[in-house]
Amino acid sequence: MTTETELQHEDDDLLPSTPALDEESPFATMMSLFDEAAARLGVDPAEYAILRKPDREIAVAVPIPLDNGTMAVFDGYRVQHNAGLGPFLGPLRLARDIKVDELRALAAWMTWKCAVLNIPFGGAAGGIRINTKRRSRSEVERAVRRYAADLFGVLGPDRDIVTPDVGCNEEVMAWVMDSISSHERHTENAVVTGKPLSLGGSEGHSDSVARGLRVILRLALERYKLPDAPSVLIQGIGRVGGTLARLLHQGGFRVCGLSDVQGAVYNPRGLDVPALLACRAENGTITECPGEFEKLSNQEMLAMQCDVLIPCAVANAVHSRNARDVQARLILEGAHGPVSARADRILHERGIPVVPDILANAGGVVADYFEWVQNRQGFAWIDAVIQKRITRFMTEAWRSVSEVQLQYGVRMRMAANMLAVERVAKADELRGVYA
Amino acid sequence: MSTGTAVASATERDEFNPFLAMAERFESAADYLELDAGVREVLRTPDRELTVSIPIVMDDGSLRVFRGYRVQHNFLRGPCKGGIRFAPDVHIDEVRALAAWMTWKCSVVALPFGGGKGGVICDPRELSQSELERITRRYTASIMDILGPDRDVPAPDMNTNEQTMAWIMDTYSMHVRRTTTAIVTGKPLSLGGSKGRTEATGRGVMLSCREAMKKLGMRPESTRVVVQGSGNVGGIGAMLLHREGYNVVSISDMYGAVHNEKGLDVPDVLRWLKEHRALEGYPDADHLDNDEQLALDCELLVPAATENQITSQNVHKVQAKLIVEGANGPTTAPADKALEERGVMVVPDILANAGGVTVSYFEWVQDRMGYFWTEEIVNSRLEQTMVSSFNEVEACSREYGVSMRTAAYILAIGRVAEVYRLRGVFA
Repeated sequence: MTTETELQHEDDDLLPSTPALDEESPFATMMSLFDEAAARLGVDPAEYAILRKPDREIAVAVPIPLDNGTMAVFDGYRVQHNAGLGPFLGPLRLARDIKVDELRALAAWMTWKCAVLNIPFGGAAGGIRINTKRRSRSEVERAVRRYAADLFGVLGPDRDIVTPDVGCNEEVMAWVMDSISSHERHTENAVVTGKPLSLGGSEGHSDSVARGLRVILRLALERYKLPDAPSVLIQGIGRVGGTLARLLHQGGFRVCGLSDVQGAVYNPRGLDVPALLACRAENGTITECPGEFEKLSNQEMLAMQCDVLIPCAVANAVHSRNARDVQARLILEGAHGPVSARADRILHERGIPVVPDILANAGGVVADYFEWVQNRQGFAWIDAVIQKRITRFMTEAWRSVSEVQLQYGVRMRMAANMLAVERVAKADELRGVYA
Repeated sequence: MSTGTAVASATERDEFNPFLAMAERFESAADYLELDAGVREVLRTPDRELTVSIPIVMDDGSLRVFRGYRVQHNFLRGPCKGGIRFAPDVHIDEVRALAAWMTWKCSVVALPFGGGKGGVICDPRELSQSELERITRRYTASIMDILGPDRDVPAPDMNTNEQTMAWIMDTYSMHVRRTTTAIVTGKPLSLGGSKGRTEATGRGVMLSCREAMKKLGMRPESTRVVVQGSGNVGGIGAMLLHREGYNVVSISDMYGAVHNEKGLDVPDVLRWLKEHRALEGYPDADHLDNDEQLALDCELLVPAATENQITSQNVHKVQAKLIVEGANGPTTAPADKALEERGVMVVPDILANAGGVTVSYFEWVQDRMGYFWTEEIVNSRLEQTMVSSFNEVEACSREYGVSMRTAAYILAIGRVAEVYRLRGVFA
């Protein structure tokens, strides 16, 4: 695995293919990736200039009494990037090290992602700068509620919908829902997603990224004429990687490699995924588990023989110095920006297709959208319906991206970026400039 | 509305006023329903009328003031629904009549809407795109107190289109500070529009033909169809009928008609039309003028162009056994009477061309839930609505022993009157 120190020596890799969170100006960096898409599409520069700035940024002071009776003031932010396609939607993160520019990048990223998936939202991102590990549960609750109250009138099912991110669990989302509902004087559960099932949460929300990846994997295997049940390496064993491993194993795929932060296990004949997941749930790591496999470092696993590599853990996992060792014939980006920009070029030269994160891991945003729809209807869908509809949305996005790719003869990443810019610019153009 | 001839006699003027015809039909249906004078008065009178002046800085820097209207005829059955037109001859009386027409149309297909209509007096041919945009936005802002997804939902009409609707949606959304796609229908697909909307009216016409044919025991392959018009309704209607195996023998545009007794290759005709902007010169057919077209020997006639086409002057020449009104008001009241006496079935406009407003309703539903249906689902729900509405009107016509048109009005007005009884007089 790439450490931060390693990355700092490698200037080229500081330009990731997707917004990195440790950039000096992640927003500008990320937008520059879309400049090329806009130029290729011939989007009117004046029109595109609108997209290069967030629509609105709000900073709020979040004062709360601490458990010891003293007061503390935390910083809260919400950045709304573009509302051309509909209300804003985007993550809330509770973290010690929140940078506004990072939120800008994330907000824009959400705009593009929703556009690729043809979901009627613009992008937003927000956060509270708070160390959740040092603060008690009730302090965090007070901060979240005060933040929600401060943003009352800004948030709303038709204004801005909040999704869970770093530091947020179901309970945090329930607090946001409750605070907004109390202020509105009516139940307003469509203002947040990732809620508990009993408060308007959606079936399958936590599995959605993995499910989306599975759909994209099947489509990619067909397109690149790879075996129906290929051998797969998965980096990461959390909500995305772990769930995907389970789903693929169930579906008859050969999961040959699996890793967590400590290290990786590998068996070219396939791993016993359920046993490994059960063991990890108990021991906290797979490296200590019994079974028939080789133990490797994370870095070594990425270079093992396989048909498909799915990095679902960290940004820049595949970088310029290990990209040439990758033996996979196809890469799916399960994580956010796991292939660095330079690695992306190397892989392209080597003829290894990379399905970009903006498309591959978009199952999560589809699930957010579904939760919002169900809340608006006041009618919950059964799991089978959700499965079917995730498949439909992912498949349609895949087809649209493939069409752009064919039409312009570009890489899939550029095609996805172009599709996003085209859809958002079109909506902005249709709506015109309000004055 | 006038015939354009200054010498027209009073009776002729009356025959050519589709709104007088509608008023007459309203009274006759109200008689069958035995509505008392008070209820009739309520249903005849628009609930609310708003007139606004729209000051606009023109491109040359000068200031002009336009006049705009929004009439809400009746919102007993739900929020008002109806188009907004931009035209030099917009007149408040016409807007009122069209609003009432929308009330009956929504009611006959059982949509939860009342009728509304709006218009701005202006000549779009003399206005730039940015002047049109400013007019649209200012008009929207001026009437927005009475608009809303649960109040009044406009739609495109004469000289307004998807782009106009996008401006309305944007202006409204910015004012209320939240995305409100359900404020207007007929939007572009990318801004909350519905699949299947463009062809909805034509599809509804085709479905009306199909259901009427079933009742009359006619079969598509032995049915010669004459379609007057070739636009959004006539063209798409003809195409769908052709696809369903009907023998479409004639289609027309503003300038004339093409005819081929053995049947037209409809897709080919429409391709020609798109390319040449006129049917003139189309090879595989005879060419007739529009009057001759209506007298063609056929089983099914679909007037889908404009009003007052089948009149007391030419009704005796019409040979069709079945007429399905794609346009609004294509048959005048005296012609209607003559057709009824001859036993020709006329599927009236408020039923036959209600496919458009039905899919507008679907767009509103989809916007409210934020989830969008596939085209197959839109089409199948449109089919359900058209088929069940047709059957209800047909059953009503048998029950009262009246024409399909009178039955449609009885059903529509009866539904509104029933809701009025249930809701009572608000005070």
